[in-house]
Amino acid sequence: MIYLFLMSLIVSIHILPDAAYAEGHTPKGAPQRIISLSPAITEGLFLLGAEERIVGVTTYCHKPPQAVKKEKVGSVMETNIEKVVSLKPDLVIGTGLTNQKDVKKLKTLGINIVIFSITKDFTQLCESFSGLGRLLNKEDLARTMIDESKKRLLQTQRKVSALPRKKVFIQLGAKPLFAASRDYFINDFIEYAGGINIFKDARSGLVSREEVVRRNPEIVIIATMGDTGENTGEKEMKMWQRYKTINAVKNKNIFLVDSDKICSPTPVSFADSLEDIAKIFHPEAFK
Amino acid sequence: MSKKTGAALLSILFSFVFLLASMFYASGSGSSGISLMEILPTLMKGSGTTEYSILLDIRIPRILLGLAIGGSLSLAGVILQGMFRNPLVEPYTLGISGGAALGAALCIVTGLNRIFPDFAMPLSGFIGAFFVALPISLINIRRGIVKTEGLLLTGVMISYISSSIVTLILAVSRTEDIQSIIFWIMGSLEEPSWLLILTALSLSFICLALSYVFSLDLNALLLGEDEARHLGINVERAKKVLFLVASLLTGVSVSITGIIGFVGLVVPHFVRMFAGHDHRVLLLVSYLTGAGFLIFCDTLARTVISPVELPVGVITGILGGSLFVYVLSKKYHAR
Repeated sequence: MIYLFLMSLIVSIHILPDAAYAEGHTPKGAPQRIISLSPAITEGLFLLGAEERIVGVTTYCHKPPQAVKKEKVGSVMETNIEKVVSLKPDLVIGTGLTNQKDVKKLKTLGINIVIFSITKDFTQLCESFSGLGRLLNKEDLARTMIDESKKRLLQTQRKVSALPRKKVFIQLGAKPLFAASRDYFINDFIEYAGGINIFKDARSGLVSREEVVRRNPEIVIIATMGDTGENTGEKEMKMWQRYKTINAVKNKNIFLVDSDKICSPTPVSFADSLEDIAKIFHPEAFK
Repeated sequence: MSKKTGAALLSILFSFVFLLASMFYASGSGSSGISLMEILPTLMKGSGTTEYSILLDIRIPRILLGLAIGGSLSLAGVILQGMFRNPLVEPYTLGISGGAALGAALCIVTGLNRIFPDFAMPLSGFIGAFFVALPISLINIRRGIVKTEGLLLTGVMISYISSSIVTLILAVSRTEDIQSIIFWIMGSLEEPSWLLILTALSLSFICLALSYVFSLDLNALLLGEDEARHLGINVERAKKVLFLVASLLTGVSVSITGIIGFVGLVVPHFVRMFAGHDHRVLLLVSYLTGAGFLIFCDTLARTVISPVELPVGVITGILGGSLFVYVLSKKYHAR
């Protein structure tokens, strides 16, 4: 069960370059053989046009579809060192989720590894993306994409800013029940899209159903995370129907979203998903 | 040479061959596909090639650590089972691993592992193990008498308490920390520090030698504590030293590799089936077999669904457990 829970967390994780590493350890000239240890990084690499230079990804890297064809070097958390070494990379990009021991081992083997830490909001997401651009000597392209996304983000924000804010609960996990607290960039989605995160103050995402009922959200969004044909999303939707006092239930405001979509690892897809969420909150603004 | 000595030598030889075989198998398997036949040519070509680095820097350290940890855990298992005369005792039933897990979890959430990246984890695991093992033995050593049953019961309880606290820590900690703690609990033979690998290896050898000094005491203890006392064995001293040795072996193993279950429980039982009950043979054969077993399991863990690595505990549990049930059922069926 804990694995399912972790899986759901992993999907929602973003990256930010650890300044110390990203600066000092970058080799001169753009790297030609890159291994990515995170779906977010893989997607970023594709966006920045480095597709040809990727020699290894994780088994979690599904986006974009071409990423699946790349050589696999392990999961997000477990890296197969032997595989990495045999692919002779000149740059390995890991995250805060990469096993510390693996990172250390790769370093002792003289492999250039850059660690991006986990991002918690849109600003960090942009910093992370431009950091990735810097590694590839494509910082300008990254900047342009970030500016473009920021523009779209502002447009969406403008559309909803004057509208009344609704109380929102975004559910990231089912067993255990897991909410997006302020430590998750999902919180940014809610706020930018003109909503109030009912669990913004929560210290950990682990919340009780009772507390959800008490805080009475007007909108419930269930992200079907790590769902492998178990219909967790549908089951959860039915589950919430039992609590008739919740406004979201009364007004039939329970929605399922594809977690792959809202857990957007790049500024570009963040802007996309924000629009989707804003449409759920304020359909009238997008008519 | 008597028949008994012959059988003993045969079982030592057998376990040694098993260990060598799994070491060879391990050095010839991996996701990058350097096979057994290519090992020698690769080594002959010398350093500088990727294959050489994979063999020497990745596979060999893992094999050596597997030797140390597999050996240590099953040695601890033999000692404890002999001492307690209880087939269910293993290093982990005494709460030692629970304490180590708690220590490691605390180390991660307090951020100590970021301040002292190399030694914080093993050290706090070890301290955790000892803070648990020590009160257990203190509670149960009254007037110089080690109460075996009490020791066992307290150990099991402490094990439960620690695992509950670890779960509590998991529930309230940050995502990055959860990941590190889970990793650690799952157990893995990946260890970048040569110093730790060699420490584990030499400690396991020292403890093997030390336990040999008490092999006759262990044999006498099999008859029962009173009987052993009548035979002139200093039972209390033997039990204290042996308990300390077992705790040390387990504490160090768990703190370096995390929790790898089943080796300490299953291997000694297995070994007793073919090597008999004489601890003079049993200790060595268990060490060799445990080492071979863990190395073999680790090789499977890295290759079955390559490139993804399974936690080695998954393999030791499934393979060790089912093999053991099978052998046990055959044995009882034959009676």
